[in-house]
Amino acid sequence: MKKIMYLIMLSCKKVTELIEKRSLVELSFKEKIQLHLHTTMCDACTAYQKQSEKIDELLEKYIHTSDTNNSASYQNHELKEKIINNLS
Amino acid sequence: MLNSDTAIVMKSWVEAFSDKMYLWTVYKTNSKETAEDLVQDTFLAAFQSIEKFEGKSEPKTWLFGILNNKIAEHFRKAYRNPTINENDRSVHAEISLFDRFFDSDGNWKKEQRPKEWHRDEENLLDNTEFINVLRGCLSKLPNNWFAAVQLKYIEKKSGELICQELEISPTNFWQILHRAKLQLRKCLEVHWFKN
Repeated sequence: MKKIMYLIMLSCKKVTELIEKRSLVELSFKEKIQLHLHTTMCDACTAYQKQSEKIDELLEKYIHTSDTNNSASYQNHELKEKIINNLS
Repeated sequence: MLNSDTAIVMKSWVEAFSDKMYLWTVYKTNSKETAEDLVQDTFLAAFQSIEKFEGKSEPKTWLFGILNNKIAEHFRKAYRNPTINENDRSVHAEISLFDRFFDSDGNWKKEQRPKEWHRDEENLLDNTEFINVLRGCLSKLPNNWFAAVQLKYIEKKSGELICQELEISPTNFWQILHRAKLQLRKCLEVHWFKN
């Protein structure tokens, strides 16, 4: 039994990699089992998984929102001149 | 030759939209220089293909469409050609990152084991302090890691498609994301969630 567990159990490093992989592609059946088994037994990786998902959620929102509203009065005259000079 | 009607139109677009486009690009790339270059490239491209603009969409939408393609292209380039920056961060980071977190068996070092975060505010992204922390942490990532993170979210494309465009194997891509996430998580923990 110990030997079987050893074959199935992945290291935390590998498991955190699977957690990232999962957010991009579908895991194989074996990988899903491995991930599930590991996280049921490892508090640290469970916490990592939760935090990783939270960061994904934050980044997704962050990257798609613009904070240009806060700086409606911003003016970059130098850049405007450069662009116009480029065009003529 | 610059047709004068086109020139007038282009000038009015530069006046109306270049500031917004610049800020948008700074926000995405974390770099003022890159933003200036990309906005200039965008207007040049718009100018050269003005006949394709048929007034079916708003000028602003059309320009931002071109700009967003330029931004994505910028990140694809940055991902493919990581520049060694001033602190040699990318080389250094690759070597020491895993050693920092994991022991030789690949398990968490005792002091690095993630523990639950208890700080849990709503609408974190409305909080300027948090945005500054997030920006700071993103800017500490090596260039190509940062590019990988941006590419993952920017276009809402599948992992496979992103890798096709980058001409790299998916394995390579999520391994980079794995490293980036480990570093980012730690940075956010130290500077925000553990405060």
